[in-house]
Formats: sequence, C-alpha cells, structure tokens
Amino acid sequence: MQYMLLLYESEATAAKRSQAEQAEIHRRFMALNQDLSSAGKRVGGSPLERSSTATTVRARDGKTLTTDGPFAETKEQLGGYWIIEAADLKEAIALAARVPTAESGCVEVRPVMKIPG
Amino acid sequence: MQYMLLIYESEAQALRRSQSEQGKLVQSFMTFTQNLVSSGKMRGGDRLERSTTATTVRVHNGKTTAIDGPFAETKEQLGGYYIVEAGDLDEAIAIAARIPSAELGSIEVRPVMQIPK
Repeated sequence: MQYMLLLYESEATAAKRSQAEQAEIHRRFMALNQDLSSAGKRVGGSPLERSSTATTVRARDGKTLTTDGPFAETKEQLGGYWIIEAADLKEAIALAARVPTAESGCVEVRPVMKIPG
Repeated sequence: MQYMLLIYESEAQALRRSQSEQGKLVQSFMTFTQNLVSSGKMRGGDRLERSTTATTVRVHNGKTTAIDGPFAETKEQLGGYYIVEAGDLDEAIAIAARIPSAELGSIEVRPVMQIPK
C-alpha cells in the first residue's frame, strides 16, 4: 500500500535555525531517504521551493486566473513530500515519525488511491 | 524544471456529482494524463484517498502523536497531484489550467527544489 507523506513546517522557524542545525537536519533527511531507498520503501519524493514561490491557478469560464502564493495560508507550510510503500497505516505513521521535521512541524499521512488496471 | 501541481477540490461538491458527471470527469483526467505523458512532460502523480483518511503526525520529546484528519481544515481538500516538466512557470501554469479540476477547484503550482548532484 502506498502513502503520501506531506511535510509541513513553519518556514519562519526553519529560517531561524543556525547553519549547524540546518546541516544536521539535512543530514538526517539524507539518512532517512537512504534508509527508505535501501528498504525498498521509497517510491518518490522531493523537497519543494518555499511557499512564497507558489502560484494558485483556477480556470473559470475559459479564463485562467492566477494568484501568487499557496492555496491556503497556514501557520506551517508544505515543504516537501515522500511517496512510501508501507504495509499499513501503522507502519506509515511510524515512518512519518522518523521524518526530522515531524519534531518541529508535522507530517500528514494520506493513503494513495489504488487505480484499478 | 519540475513543478508540483497540487489539486484541491471541495469533496462535498465532488460527492454531489451524478455518476455520469463523475464518469466524464474521470475520462477528462485520463485524457489530460495521456496528453501529458505523450508530450513527455509527465514525471509523476497520484490520486489520494479522501481527506478523512488522513492522519497528522507530530513528534514531541520522542513521543509520537497521531491525530485523525488532514493537517489543515480547508474549504477545498487535496485530492491528488502531478509532477510535471515545464520550461518555466508560465508553462506550468498553462498545464495546471488544463487539469479538469482547475475549473471546479484550485491548483497550487510549486517549483520542485533542484538537488545539486
């Protein structure tokens, strides 16, 4: 079963980290990414550019409307995601808890829909 | 350059669609995805289970708390995503505007962080 892990953290909090703290977080991310890959549990994933680079798009009456910024203004912002393979929700939650920013922000775990065929 | 297109639509609105309307929308999505693949711009994507199946995970002092529900309660809910290859933001926005749900909800366009190799 596949799950999407959506990583949320306050960009303001992240910006306040020292260079050494940032390097340590980065190292832990790389280690987890490597662990997931080695275990055959990493399906995909990537960090995203800051939420200030987001554009929200709507199509109405044949016209494209764009607004700068993410879809929702939230206290914590989406910063990246993983698609993982896990036996069940319990395992997915255990993996989510190993994400370094689960300690400073949160991780939303969402089952990926199985498309028949 | 890669962009993540996050698809938001009101699940309440989606539930009100008739079976034939839903069938048409699924068909539109299949056509859109097929065109994206044919143009060589498709890098990934998934449809997600409803937001009610989400679990939000936080770790404090080594203790994991898992709360039912998505990270943020919003009027429209994340239902899926595409990762696309686009020359620039304008092209990514043009692709986003062609996602069938762009007419019903909102698409957030976010640059994927380029990891130096």
